[in-house]
Amino acid sequence: MKRETIIWTVLFVAGGLFLVVRGTQSDHGLGRQYVKQVRVNPQSATDLRVKFKEAPPTDRQAQLSIPRTVGLWVAAFFTLAILSFLYRDNIFYKIAESVMVGVSAAWYMVTAGFWEAIIPKLLANLAPETIGSWALPDLLKPKPPDPKLLSLVPLVLGIMLLCRLLPRGGWIGRWPLAFIVGVFAGIRMIGFLEADFVSQIRSSIIPLVVMTDAGRVNLWASLRNTGLVFGVLACLAYFFFSVEHRGLVGRLARVGVWYLMITFGASFAFTVMGRIALLAGRITFLFDDWLWLIDPAGKRWGP
Amino acid sequence: MLKSTFPWLIVAVTGCVMIAAFFVPPLAEWKNEAGAWFEILAAMAFVVGGANLFAQHLKKISARRAGWGYSAVTLFSFVVTLVVGLFKVGVIGEDPNYPWAGHYQAEGSALWWLYQFAYQPLIGTMFALLAFYVASAAFRAFRAKNTEATMLLTAAFIVLLGRTYAGTWLTSAVPDDYSALTFPGMTAIILGVFNTAGQRAIMIGIALGVAATSLKVLLGVDRSYLGSDGD
Amino acid sequence: MISVMAVVLCLLTLCTRPILAQDTAAAPTDAIAPPSKLIAKDHDNDAGTAIDLEWTLSPDDQPQRKPRVVVGYQVFRSLADGMERVSLESLTPGTVKFTDRSCKYGAAYLYEVVAVGSGNRDSEPARLAQPVRAVRQWFDASRVWFGVIVLIVCGCVIGFTEIVKAGRGTHVRAIAGLKAIEEAAGRATEMGRPCLFVPGLRDMNEISTVAGINVLSHVARIAAEYDATIEVPTCRSLVMTAARETVQAAYIAAGRPEAFNDDRISYITDEQFAYVAWMTGYMVREKPAACFYMGTFFAESLILAETGNSIGAIQIAGTSQAAQLPFFVAACDYTLIGEELFAASAYLSGEPQQLGSLKGQDAGKALAAALLIAGCLLATETSLLPKTTQFAQALDYLTNSILR
Repeated sequence: MKRETIIWTVLFVAGGLFLVVRGTQSDHGLGRQYVKQVRVNPQSATDLRVKFKEAPPTDRQAQLSIPRTVGLWVAAFFTLAILSFLYRDNIFYKIAESVMVGVSAAWYMVTAGFWEAIIPKLLANLAPETIGSWALPDLLKPKPPDPKLLSLVPLVLGIMLLCRLLPRGGWIGRWPLAFIVGVFAGIRMIGFLEADFVSQIRSSIIPLVVMTDAGRVNLWASLRNTGLVFGVLACLAYFFFSVEHRGLVGRLARVGVWYLMITFGASFAFTVMGRIALLAGRITFLFDDWLWLIDPAGKRWGP
Repeated sequence: MLKSTFPWLIVAVTGCVMIAAFFVPPLAEWKNEAGAWFEILAAMAFVVGGANLFAQHLKKISARRAGWGYSAVTLFSFVVTLVVGLFKVGVIGEDPNYPWAGHYQAEGSALWWLYQFAYQPLIGTMFALLAFYVASAAFRAFRAKNTEATMLLTAAFIVLLGRTYAGTWLTSAVPDDYSALTFPGMTAIILGVFNTAGQRAIMIGIALGVAATSLKVLLGVDRSYLGSDGD
Repeated sequence: MISVMAVVLCLLTLCTRPILAQDTAAAPTDAIAPPSKLIAKDHDNDAGTAIDLEWTLSPDDQPQRKPRVVVGYQVFRSLADGMERVSLESLTPGTVKFTDRSCKYGAAYLYEVVAVGSGNRDSEPARLAQPVRAVRQWFDASRVWFGVIVLIVCGCVIGFTEIVKAGRGTHVRAIAGLKAIEEAAGRATEMGRPCLFVPGLRDMNEISTVAGINVLSHVARIAAEYDATIEVPTCRSLVMTAARETVQAAYIAAGRPEAFNDDRISYITDEQFAYVAWMTGYMVREKPAACFYMGTFFAESLILAETGNSIGAIQIAGTSQAAQLPFFVAACDYTLIGEELFAASAYLSGEPQQLGSLKGQDAGKALAAALLIAGCLLATETSLLPKTTQFAQALDYLTNSILR
């Protein structure tokens, strides 16, 4: 354990020294973000408010942004903290995990919940004029719509849901839950039968013997088609619940399992290729945005 | 009655109306309306979830249970994000007459900062970990224990090679008449025949499973999600 | 009064168009021939909000003429009295059909179609002789066969449920993953460690989540009987609500209501990877003896299954996401593939009415297989005997009417 502590201490000190040396000795330094001031409404003669936009360090008007530079280092810390979990669970990962849960839960509440749903889809329907003059001025153009009283239904259902928070009477929250489950049981039942059941059968209807234009049997295409249709039937046999996998059905089901395994293999291969690209994105962040070791887009040092 | 039977009646009636909406054109619009209502309900449900999160961590902190410090970190980040997001801290609206009309995540706002420098790098790195996990999963698959696992691995190996230049190069000596024996050729067969057949059968099965489960829900055969009659 | 106005408006339009044409066109020979024979009729099987238009192409609309004389068509719509004239759509040359899906139910409309030439030269419009009104249908006739299929599938589920309830044909084959649930809960009790149940990433509007919650009901009951702790982190508030109801009901059914602790069923966050980060952290710290993943999963399936595997937990997974199944198959002890997830609850309940639904699902698969075989035989006959039209007609009816 002690030896491990020593190794980690050495690694941290070396990493820290590298950052200090890189920051002070190299031509370009590292890990800074620059901004420039721009007018909020450049066309307006009366509105003189300004805001900050990200700018490359090479921009003449660029100035160092302390909050964004701090943010960059925070982001780098979080990136390394999450990557450290690959070694094992540790205090940095635990901190990152805690922040991730807190920030993301609140972020969803604020965005998907409040500003994207409650305001524009509920309150804007019930009181368009009030909400329009407060946060959604587009609603007032050309004139505010009439209140949509039907939106009272989800409001009432939502309030019932909130009864879950009361010490007694939480059972009333089952009603909106029942509403959601009922509505979507109906929608999904038909949707799946139409889009998956019927359409997949239709797409699988193909000739088992394919003829060429010259009137000969195209052996290769025929084999492919037969293999495909046989595969669908074999996999369906695997999913049969009321028949034991013995005898003919058993053999068919076994072939079905092989088909399924090859299917999974193909999905596996596709996923492997996609995931490598994700890692490349984070590595780029560390080496490009944070450490300034590389500059593939030529945004700091020019091409 | 009100605790279990009445909710089931709601399930049955709303479900039947939605099924009818597929066949009765004037009701078709109701599906969209129901979808919009669901979004509102899910948004209001955030309050229940958020309250639960708040209470759980507060309980852990006040009881000084193991790891309470991390709960404090969670709670702090939750409250800060919530406050700066709801009050649009640092958001500068386009129109000075409507200060609340700016986008909640406009560049430079506090919520933007949290998204840019905390949320996004954390989520992105967690997602990137998949590259390592996929390697360990591949290693596990290498120790194929039975015929099925060997088939999975072989198919994955062929498709991986067949979609890269290496696969084409390795089997470049195969004559054109036997192109099906090259890695790209075998990949085409795996994707066009085996993968298509497997995916279609899975989809047909799932459709039937969804239909049967929905029907059981509508008929009240399986009401476990509604709890018991007791409070 | 309105009709007089309409006539006057029409006359005015007729009088002004040639003048305008003279103004804009360079020479009379440049005039573009208008489309003709514009007809409009109600769009079938809708709520009375669409009208189908058809016309004959402008004689100048010939693809072989370069540069093209006609570069498109413009559709205009007005009310029967000529008011509220709007331009609806710009269509490509060669188009002879258009469906206006923005009609108000009950309103009578007049349509015009103009051939548009290069340099903004328009032809005379092809006009509708009489206003047309969209009609509402109360049944979508194009879905009759689909309705029959729905009735057959649902009828099979209900019919077999009744048959099994009557005590006939109760046998279903064993599914190893479901038999292992009890063993997993038992192991957790022996080891004094919790069971982790993950109901997936989707909300209660997905049937796979409902199926997952139904499985949770049985797992919780087994856990309650064994006195094992069950932890259910959720990433949707509504799922948490449903899971609490379910687990509480399971504990009551197991006769141990006092052992239910709703703190164990908690909301973590809606964000997929934050939820996963919490769970992986939980797994390596608490080391659950059994992990159940039942519902809809995406990329995180790999992280969950690998972490669970690394801590040596018994893992049983079930998902309707075909793309995630390979990772569950590779790293979990048992995997319920696709439809098996939806069958799990019926299996675990052992109730006749639920087992009957499984036989109903089998009947659905038999129907699928029968339709597939019949369709493929017809397609094969059509391929072998291209001159025999009966097979082609039957195939066409099967694929384009029955399986539309």
